[in-house]
Order: sequence, then C-alpha cells, then structure tokens
Amino acid sequence: MEARLSRYAVNSLLYRLKKDPEFRARFGADPAASIADLDLSAEERAAFVARDMRRVNELGGYLHLVLSIPGLAVHPPRR
Amino acid sequence: MGRIVFAAAMSHVLDPDYYERACGAEGRRKTDEAMAAIAAMGERLSTTRPDALIVVADDHLNAFSFNCVPAMCVRIGREVHRMRQDHAEAFDAVLEHMPTTYPLHEGLATAILADGVAAGFDLALSWEAPVDHAFLAPVNTLHGSRPIPPLVPIWINCFVAPQPTARRCFALGAHVARVVAKSDWNVAIVATGGLSHFPELSVARIGETDSVFDGRLIHWMERGEHEPLQELGADELHKTGSHEFLNWMVLLGAVSPARAEVRYFGELPRINLAAVEWRLA
Repeated sequence: MEARLSRYAVNSLLYRLKKDPEFRARFGADPAASIADLDLSAEERAAFVARDMRRVNELGGYLHLVLSIPGLAVHPPRR
Repeated sequence: MGRIVFAAAMSHVLDPDYYERACGAEGRRKTDEAMAAIAAMGERLSTTRPDALIVVADDHLNAFSFNCVPAMCVRIGREVHRMRQDHAEAFDAVLEHMPTTYPLHEGLATAILADGVAAGFDLALSWEAPVDHAFLAPVNTLHGSRPIPPLVPIWINCFVAPQPTARRCFALGAHVARVVAKSDWNVAIVATGGLSHFPELSVARIGETDSVFDGRLIHWMERGEHEPLQELGADELHKTGSHEFLNWMVLLGAVSPARAEVRYFGELPRINLAAVEWRLA
C-alpha cells in the first residue's frame, strides 16, 4: 500500500498546473525557473522541465491530471 | 414509507468525439450505442417521478485537491455547480455544453449525512464542491431535455490510495437504503464509472482493459451474489482498472439482493462501456 501513496510534490504541482492559468503560463515560458523552489527529485524536475508527462506519470503523477492539463496533456495513441 | 424506485450504473465519459479520437470510428459507434441505452434507461427513470436522484461517483481531483481527499463525501446545500476548467482537455471538455447549476435535495442529503455519522460512518461533507463529468455526463444523458430531479451527489475516493474498501462502500449503500426507507421520498440512485479501463492508472497501459474481470463482476451482479463483490481488494481493482467499481458497490448495497440486467456492454481498447439497470421489487 505504501508504494501507491501519492508523491505529494509531484501531484500538487500537476494540480496547480491544471487549475492555475497564471502559473501554467509561467511554467510554459520557463519551466525550470517556475519550479525552482519546489521539493522535487532531480528525476522529477527533469521530467517536468522536459514537459514529459508520461515520465511524470511513471514517477507517481496522477493519471487523470496528466491527461487533462491544458496544453500539457498526454494524448495516448489511438487504439 | 420511502423507497428506491430506480437504480442503474453506467460509464461516465459519454462523449462520442472523445472516443472517436481515442479509438476511431468504433469508438464513436459504441459510445453512441451506450448513450442510447442510457437515454432509454432515463425514460424509465422519469416515469418513476423520483423526488430525488442520488448520484454516486468519483472525483478526478476537480472537486477536491491535495488539500483534502475525503474517502466518502456527501454534498449538502441547495444547489451544486458544474466544475469549470479553462481550456478544458479530454474528459473535462464534455462538460462545456451542460447546464451550470443543478438543484440539490437538501433533506435527503442531510439525512444521509447526519444519520450516517450517527450510525458510525465518518462521512465528509461539502457545501461548495463542484461536480465534474462523472456526475453530469450520466445525469444529462439520462434526462435529455426532461427536467432533472434534485440531486444528492455522493463522492467515493476511487483513485487516491488508500481508498475505502468495497465492503465499506456496500455498507454505505445499505445505510442509504435505510435512510430512504424511513423517509417519505421516492428515490432514484445512479452509480457511475467503469467498467475496466486505465489499469494501474498508468499512461503506458492506456488501451488495455480486462474483459474477463468485467465478466465476473457482471456474473455476480446478474445473480444478486454480492458477497464475493464485497471481498474485492484494492490491488485487484487497481490492476484490472476497476477503481470506479467502488461507486457501483454503494449502489449494490442500496439495492441488494436485487439482480442486475445489462442494457449495454461494449468493448473498446480504451474502456469497456457499460449500462446496467437493477430489477427492483
């Protein structure tokens, strides 16, 4: 069970990106600077800076957030 | 004496455009078929003229945030608003054409909450939480242009571990049935979500479903065998992409031992779309 507990730092950032348009714009302009003061691991930070939401999901990012952040959402291939 | 006059459960991303993008023409066709089956169920729902419509669904971190994720939450107050999202993507976009405000059945919601806490259910309450597609896509598809009865939204935490157990969700449903029975109201109840999709909540596994597992769930529901369903564990629900079945467990507790009748089951790579109605005594 412990392994499935959410990574708070990752998910609170995802939530803010979805719900805060002003922060989302700052992230879009300079991802590294906009998240510089957050408590993220190097791996997590690199995934966000690369806007790699698949990787963010692998690192514990909540699926429904990575699928629905305006402009950053993952679009899985058609199957 | 009040009674439950209608009970149904169904998938809740009811958007042919979404599933056409995800699965091609088959996605559109099967979503249209599922929605037609749900609309037909809605016609039967309306003939029962319910005083209230309980909707048991999950949040997708729209109503709640990491500030607080309640295991079970009853929405009280006089009205509820639909969730607003700027530049909505994916399943959020389905909300945009829907009415923005819906009346609540304050008396029933308050009774479920207050009697529930008195009975040992540590229910959360909210006066302000909005509802997302999990509530409103089914409600609007069921009713079309007909008036929507006053709602009682109940959230179950289906996604953010640790979730409530299947057995506890079933027990909450039994509590709801007791509240209805001692009221003066005729009540409809709908549970939403599922069936199998998004196993392990992993992007890499989007496009996989577990139809064998869904077959087991349907088998038990059709026979009114609810004990094995209460034994379902969190890991099993997670691996099979059946997180939202917890909502269905609340409904099952409310109508047990009624038997289910499947109105629609359509397999897509992205999800197994379903619409199920219960034969009530």
